[in-house]
Amino acid sequence: MSASHGTASPENTSGDAVATHCPYCALQCAQTLTVTPGKRLPLEVAGREFPTNRGGLCQKGWTSAEVLRAQDRITSPMIRTADGGFREASWDEALGLISTRIEELQASHGRESIAIFGGGGLTNEKAYALGKFARTVLRTPFIDYNGRFCMSSAAAASNRAFGMDRGLGFPLADLGGADAVLVLGSNMGVTMPPFVQHLAGSRERGGLIVVDPRETVTAKLTHGDKGIHLAPVPGTDMVVLLALTHVLIAEGLVDTDYLERRTRGFDAVRRSVAGWWPERAEGVCGIAADELRRTARLLAKASPRHGGRGAYVLTGRGMEQMSQGTACVTAAINLALCLGLVGRHGSGFGPVTGQGNGQGGREHGQKSDQLPGYRMITDPAAREYVAGVWGVDPESLPGPGVPAVKLLDSLGREDGPQALLVHGSNMVVSAPNADAVIESLKRLQLLVVADLVPSETALLADVILPVTQWAEEEGTMTNLEGRIIRRRKAVDAPGEARSELWILGELARRLSVYEGFPEDPRVVFDELARASAGGKADYAGITYERLDAGEELQWPCPAPDASGKAHPGTPRVFLDRFPTPDGRATMVAVDHHAPADDVRAGARTYLVTGRVLQHYQSGAQTRRVEELNAAQPEPFVELHPLLADRIGVAEGEDVILTTARGEAVARAVLTEGIRPDTVFMPFHWAGAGSANRLTNDVTDPISGMPEFKVTAVAIAPAAFPITTVEEGVNAR
Amino acid sequence: MKVVVIGNGMVGSRFVDDLVSRDASAQVTVLGKETHEPYNRVLLSSVVAGKTAPDALATLTTDSDRVRTLLGVSAVAVDRGAMTVTDSTGDVHHYDRLVFATGSQARIPGIQGIATDRGLLEGVSVLKDLDDATGIVAAIPKARRAVVLGAGVLGLEVATGLASRGLAVTLVHHADRLMERQLGSAASSIATGSLQRLGVTVVTETSVASARDSRGAVKSVTLTDGTEILTNLLVMCAGTIPETALARKAGLPCDRGIMVGEDLASPADPAVFAIGDCAQPPEGGSGLVAQGWDQAKRLVAAWTADAVAESRVDAVVESADTAELDVTNVVRVKASGLDVVTMGLSGKFEHGERELRAVRMADPAIGRFVEVVVSHGLLVGATIVGDKQCATELGSMYTRMLPVPSDPAHLIIRPLANATRPAAVAVEDMGPDHTICQCNAVPKGRIEEAVADGCSSVEDVARATRAGTGCGDCRSLVGDIIRRCGTADAADQKVPALAGSAPVGTVEG
Repeated sequence: MSASHGTASPENTSGDAVATHCPYCALQCAQTLTVTPGKRLPLEVAGREFPTNRGGLCQKGWTSAEVLRAQDRITSPMIRTADGGFREASWDEALGLISTRIEELQASHGRESIAIFGGGGLTNEKAYALGKFARTVLRTPFIDYNGRFCMSSAAAASNRAFGMDRGLGFPLADLGGADAVLVLGSNMGVTMPPFVQHLAGSRERGGLIVVDPRETVTAKLTHGDKGIHLAPVPGTDMVVLLALTHVLIAEGLVDTDYLERRTRGFDAVRRSVAGWWPERAEGVCGIAADELRRTARLLAKASPRHGGRGAYVLTGRGMEQMSQGTACVTAAINLALCLGLVGRHGSGFGPVTGQGNGQGGREHGQKSDQLPGYRMITDPAAREYVAGVWGVDPESLPGPGVPAVKLLDSLGREDGPQALLVHGSNMVVSAPNADAVIESLKRLQLLVVADLVPSETALLADVILPVTQWAEEEGTMTNLEGRIIRRRKAVDAPGEARSELWILGELARRLSVYEGFPEDPRVVFDELARASAGGKADYAGITYERLDAGEELQWPCPAPDASGKAHPGTPRVFLDRFPTPDGRATMVAVDHHAPADDVRAGARTYLVTGRVLQHYQSGAQTRRVEELNAAQPEPFVELHPLLADRIGVAEGEDVILTTARGEAVARAVLTEGIRPDTVFMPFHWAGAGSANRLTNDVTDPISGMPEFKVTAVAIAPAAFPITTVEEGVNAR
Repeated sequence: MKVVVIGNGMVGSRFVDDLVSRDASAQVTVLGKETHEPYNRVLLSSVVAGKTAPDALATLTTDSDRVRTLLGVSAVAVDRGAMTVTDSTGDVHHYDRLVFATGSQARIPGIQGIATDRGLLEGVSVLKDLDDATGIVAAIPKARRAVVLGAGVLGLEVATGLASRGLAVTLVHHADRLMERQLGSAASSIATGSLQRLGVTVVTETSVASARDSRGAVKSVTLTDGTEILTNLLVMCAGTIPETALARKAGLPCDRGIMVGEDLASPADPAVFAIGDCAQPPEGGSGLVAQGWDQAKRLVAAWTADAVAESRVDAVVESADTAELDVTNVVRVKASGLDVVTMGLSGKFEHGERELRAVRMADPAIGRFVEVVVSHGLLVGATIVGDKQCATELGSMYTRMLPVPSDPAHLIIRPLANATRPAAVAVEDMGPDHTICQCNAVPKGRIEEAVADGCSSVEDVARATRAGTGCGDCRSLVGDIIRRCGTADAADQKVPALAGSAPVGTVEG
């Protein structure tokens, strides 16, 4: 069966070229898909000129068509059998089973016994429908998503400081005109390579500053007088920021006029950084005091206050995935505000969103405490408005749920959810303390996973539902600069794969909700736009027609005004005021604390995790692409030759890493591009080499972000008992 | 719980802030002798050097209705029987617990002619508080010469700071070497060379005997060896004395400082504690703010029974090898052009029973000296002069007690800088497997094949191989490869679009 379940635009249904965007990261590189009937792959991919990628694609994007025909693509609903395997089933049987089990659990354990785990890769329409399904069909508070592991700290800090979180508050191309770009904890040279084009201007002027404990591809872009690479001790990015702010204040380099007019709270920030003079910071973050001063001066010189062309401060997961992640981003915002960058042409602050729809995914109601339009579920006015759009009683909407780590931990426990529906997430690989996550999923009475392929999480499910992806569906995504873009269909999905929009509608019907879950993404989008109207992420003025006509729209884009004139969208936010009660940005004093699991006797090395170019997230897609898999076939551990020498391991040998949560084994790769006190592991794999078996699931108190990015680890050759080696030969 | 804290300096104010945020029952009264709100005293020398604006010094004040801070009010008497403190306005404050955080005072050496009826002679100063700093700064525009007495950390910072403002500075020191508590002779003589290059004249094994004035302002000083030095400023950085007067009067045991145990309590009174410069703990006071802040943190943790914050300290205690390691004992001189950092065992220290390995490198010609001391796989001391990067790396290793490389010499000698920068390989030296386009994993051989197949431009190669279609950074390199292939085959095949964009390290084709 190959019937189409999407609603492709008429101009795109033929064998002609289809304009869409890459299935992977938040850069959402523009692609042209050309259908190739009769070939091994159903279509060809090429880069397409667009303001973000300028025609560029990385190896993942070029090979994205491979995932359409993954060998083990799921093409039929699957139901677990008594012997632990799976059998194919009809949609009717699978959905009937799910709805029956849900109703049974609701009857025996209440509505809160059902939970949903979403994903930052789902289209806006799917993310919206998922949130609505949780609140109006299941009527459970328990929905959260893997974006919690991605953007939650940046979002929390931006909302607190600016009253709004739009990722980059400016078009990406604006970066090119700046004299300085400060990149903290992002390795875009590997994770989203075409981004690097926008750093050319600052590099040319010697102003690219990269803060990363590793000499990453991005850090190497500073070589040759193109900028500065600062390699702090893992977990101390905040100290770098506090010290930079200290220097700006101490040397009279802050933009006092801007601070006076556009912010409040500077005095507390000034006092809070007084204790972080560069020499003290050096002792904590491991960056020479004069290097910190030089960096602060470079930033100041680039700032408008001192006649520079402008400067940007960009944050990434490296500094956000900390138990002090929100505070870290706040420190970055404070620095940007001291420099007078935010809400100005040619300067700015922004987190670099990671997942494909990491921005849109956090705006439309997948988050445990939010309703569409980036509204808070605790706000009575927001509840009333959204309930009105949904045609339900505001009283019927559940309250806030709990963030991802807490949700996963509560699964199957006495008072926790007993059933979980997973959409677009493979948390067995991507969540911290992965062994504990597996235990949580095993405690469930019902696990339903909607996915393209049998991911590690899907393999634990009771029911697997095959879904459409990327070139098989219509929809919208919101990229890292808050730009709403169209995903377009080029080919039919194989077998019985269906869109989640259809699945949710069918499930709703079986759970006695007969309206409100259309299958047509265009209809869903129009409702999403209405539901977002008046919210912070206001999409009310956006339509498929405008997008298909090639309009460039970044939110907020409210409905047409009284005269009927369409809103042009908002390329640059905060130019006049911040959406806070008094119109000013709020500066919040923050201070540094050591990682929750800091180096100690028995675990004297830091572990940081990250990505490789060839893989995306949990690798569920990219590990199935032969070309990518050939280039990066297995997990590895990067370590400095001095550390390798001390523990007695050679290049290519297996090492065993042990943390308080678990252990992992991987091949040693020696490089001088890492601090000798730190090892690095990519997190794209499951099994023995799964980095997230080691990571810490302690979370940020505000954002719920886990501390992926730093933990103490013991490391030894795989053949040796761990304790004797780590302590050194003389220690015991 | 009523708490009285005597002293509103860096340690006292930090303690109060921590305490009220962690202990909801604490009612705190702070008696602050100075009229200023708490500020960062460590940076006074930076103010003198003109590197830090005075208004950048103010530190966080506790915003809590459970804290009453009295500025410009000092404590005059403690009645331990009645558990009260009487302040300079005559008010009496009851306490359940009393914390001395009275800090220290600058030692004023016996120098003839510096005392007047109104205090010190004009142009003569110590550097202990904000008023001292602003006083010195105010005097700088009229001054051409300065004498700094004392070559400890503060003396070095003041001397280099004044020199950087254009003053001719003479640094006078009683010992035979600079920072004699931290530096040995070799390190000191290298640091002395750096100072001289910064315009500071160093005079050792002597002191200032007397000062002469002209119309009420200092005009010259005479050293104990009889030399007379003309000067407009005399800054005395001759060490500090823990402020113990009130504690002594209250009958608390005092030695150099107020004696306290591991728990920071006075052995004579479990309700009385001392932290910061005024305290003398069993391991001795270092005079460093890091020690005081650590004490503040520990005291709050003990009072609030918070074991979590102490995990690291517990780890230290567990390991006999590192029990003596005081990770707060890191001394960094904040002076532009003079990089001196010491930690743990440095200078002239006793080996005792320990099994120590010390490796040293002295390179006087370029002003560099590094010594590392290693015990049982851990760095227990280091002295670094004139090598910022080394100091930074050793500092993180020392404070976190990270294991050292098998051979401690690796701590000093770093590999050749170029060993980590293979980017400089010329294009003709790259093998066919050398990756040119990282974003698409395209090796040089693949590009050469594409050129052999007829690709003559970067765009052609991109279409054929995807090279250069990611971040675009390798496009000039692709151009070089095309050019080289071109010269090998057909003489004048050029890529005009790339003219002039050849990267460093390539050879013209």
